[in-house]
Amino acid sequence: MRLFWEITRRSFRRFMTYRAAALAGLVTNVFFGLLRVSVLLALYDGRPEVAGYTVPGIITYTALTQAVIAYLSLFGWFDLMQSVYTGEIAADLLKPMRLFTFWLAQDTGRAAVNILLRGVTIMIIYGLLFDLTYPQTAVQTLAVILTIILSWLLSFTWRFLINLPAFWTPNARGIVRLGYVLAWFFSGFLMPLRFLPDWVQRVAYLTPFPHMLNSVVDVYVGVLSGTELLRVLLIQAAWVLALALMGQLVLKTAVRRLVILGG
Amino acid sequence: MIQVHNLHKHFKVTRHHQGRLAGVRNLLTREYRLVKAVDNVSFTIQTGELVGYLGPNGAGKSTTIKMLTGLLVPTGGDLVVNGRIPHQSRQQYVANIGVVFGQRTTLWWDLPVIESLELLQHVYRVPADRFRQNLSEFTDLLDLKPFLHTPVRSLSLGQRMRADLCAALLHDPALLFLDEPTIGLDVVAKERIRQFIQHVNRERGTTIILTTHDLQDVEKLCERVMIIDHGRLLFDGQLNDLRERFDGRRELLVDMAEAYEDVSVEGAQVVARDGWQVTYQFSRSSVTASELISRISQRYRIRDLAVREPDIEATIRRIYEERLLET
Amino acid sequence: MRHTLTLYRRLLGVQIRSQLQYRVAFFMDLLATGLTVCLEFASLALVLQRFQHIRGWTMGEVAFLYGMVEIAFGIMDLVFSGFDPGRFGQEVRRGTFDQILLRPVNITVQVLTLDFALRRLAKITVGIGIFIVGLQGTMITWTPAKLLYLPFVLGSMVCFFGGLFVVGATITFWTVESIEVMNILTYGGSFTISYPMSIYPDWLRRFFTYIVPAIFLNYYPALYILDKPDPFNFPPIAPFLAPLVGLITLALSLAFWRFGITHYQSTGT
Repeated sequence: MRLFWEITRRSFRRFMTYRAAALAGLVTNVFFGLLRVSVLLALYDGRPEVAGYTVPGIITYTALTQAVIAYLSLFGWFDLMQSVYTGEIAADLLKPMRLFTFWLAQDTGRAAVNILLRGVTIMIIYGLLFDLTYPQTAVQTLAVILTIILSWLLSFTWRFLINLPAFWTPNARGIVRLGYVLAWFFSGFLMPLRFLPDWVQRVAYLTPFPHMLNSVVDVYVGVLSGTELLRVLLIQAAWVLALALMGQLVLKTAVRRLVILGG
Repeated sequence: MIQVHNLHKHFKVTRHHQGRLAGVRNLLTREYRLVKAVDNVSFTIQTGELVGYLGPNGAGKSTTIKMLTGLLVPTGGDLVVNGRIPHQSRQQYVANIGVVFGQRTTLWWDLPVIESLELLQHVYRVPADRFRQNLSEFTDLLDLKPFLHTPVRSLSLGQRMRADLCAALLHDPALLFLDEPTIGLDVVAKERIRQFIQHVNRERGTTIILTTHDLQDVEKLCERVMIIDHGRLLFDGQLNDLRERFDGRRELLVDMAEAYEDVSVEGAQVVARDGWQVTYQFSRSSVTASELISRISQRYRIRDLAVREPDIEATIRRIYEERLLET
Repeated sequence: MRHTLTLYRRLLGVQIRSQLQYRVAFFMDLLATGLTVCLEFASLALVLQRFQHIRGWTMGEVAFLYGMVEIAFGIMDLVFSGFDPGRFGQEVRRGTFDQILLRPVNITVQVLTLDFALRRLAKITVGIGIFIVGLQGTMITWTPAKLLYLPFVLGSMVCFFGGLFVVGATITFWTVESIEVMNILTYGGSFTISYPMSIYPDWLRRFFTYIVPAIFLNYYPALYILDKPDPFNFPPIAPFLAPLVGLITLALSLAFWRFGITHYQSTGT
């Protein structure tokens, strides 16, 4: 635990040094958010509410998706793949710590920096520009915090899993990219899932992706409440566990292969 | 071939504010510091010379080379190479020079060596028969055959260097710049490359400017050396002159036959003592070796002794460290 | 000139052969790129099924706008990949730009052939697919003039975004890192003009009209080809300004590029 904390702290400090780049990226996030808001408002065309999202709700959706891009690292994270290709992984495997835990610790630092620098700032900027919705009750606020943490854990376990093919093939980049494209679409990053036809939604909810983003929005905007809220949090947690386990299993095979073949 | 007269290159370097609000203050006010990377340098190089260009990191070596190759425009002074001013009429100028950087390759990373070379034939418009002739000559001399069809990314450093040398010479440049051509290579590979450089210089009459940190390169290849430090040309002359002028510090190692508390002697300095072994340093101008030996043997009982001649490396290090050449 | 063109072809050939060496990686990349473009449009198309139209533009009309940009941006990204600011910044950082100056070939031609991102072919292909969806969903009354003008519209967008890439690359002579503002103009700009310009707030539309005149690249030509009324009452020449905007942008950016090279030669980054 102590080691975990130390790695997290180092990683936090390391990502803090890139704050100039983080702030520059923030400008792009805000700008693209404005474009998306324009598209959605034009689609609403005066309707006060569509599929449970009010106008402030849909703007909040856009703000949230832009705010968590960097936090969830949804646009691509190839670090684990790269460490396999450069051979740095060998040194990591010698550390007195599970590889999964080691990377999780690093990602904790990364995520913390990004939610603070980019996430919070973007929400504040949108809060100043638009009328947003906010969590209404203490229970909802607590649920929001939980779901945001779970969504990051879910994104991490997914990212970890799809980086693992690097142990088998030198061409893993394409596989990883495919993994991100799917996550992008089915997480509701491009459009709220509730706006899509029922069959697409049904397919989406067979995957873990909606729980990376769409559920966060649903909880934050207040579309879900009561037992539904609890159910979503439990499903999120279940997916985290499932993907983490799968990652462990695949990693075990990968490491055995690495040891036998000698890289 | 090369005439350089009062060459200057000055850079403006932004001085960053420190401490609180440094970022904001950097945006508002800028302070500049003038760095004289090359400061009033003049020299002439004749066709067919092989000149070693030495200096510690940041001395102005690569800035000079960049100006000579036309990559950088001088702040002041005159520079004529091969009848042209390098940074003007870039395309015509670079068509007649060859450049090899030891640290990076000019070859296409993912292509077999031969394809890169063939592409360079077209880049430099080398006539087909001339290209074939050169290629076969260099293939023999550099022993390129075993890896001619291997992608550059899979070559060893030594192989890559050999391929790069070939690439730089296919178009028969009159002038060749070599920047650290032996860096990171093992002894055998270094030797092979030195032999090739010597061959190109002697047989083809190619003028060569060689920058290096490996002084064996200089000792084996160059008759003339230029030394630059802090942007100023400190020495320009024959390697032998450099030796004679600065090899004052020879060393005499003496094994005493018994323990002495005081081992001092006139005309020499004790620089090390290890048990009964004493190392003296002395300069050729103040005392000869035989004179010194007789002085020591008059005072102390000696069991054994040896004279150590300073190598070029020590000489040059001393020049850098003590700024011997500064006037 | 002929020598330069032959060399351009040869240098491109080298790039293509290099990329095809990693066949599996290449096809995976192609697939990922194609799927990205596909799913991005699919999400818009599916949502439009529910809403029917966006500010009076039907699904087919939006697909026309959207497809045009995907095709043009894809072609630009392919042809100008050497100028991609992020990529070019690395070139400057590593000092490999020096190698380019040391070869007796036109600098711009060499930078153009530093990369040729073939995976963009997937973007272009899917873009053509989207465009065809657009054609089927709209009843365009084609005239010879419209047909003739279409390639010019595409070419103008290629020039325009190519020019932005060149500007972004040139800036790295000073900054070394590519700067984020350029991403807003290139990627943000292409996103913006993939939709009818009437959906944006006035300040944003004015910005893309008077400061960065991207509105004339796609929106106005589309109004002309689709025979839609102009809500902003510009003179009737507006749809035909695209080539002018494209060419002027590219010409200015190349002038800036030349200035950047001179600067590079006097400071050496």
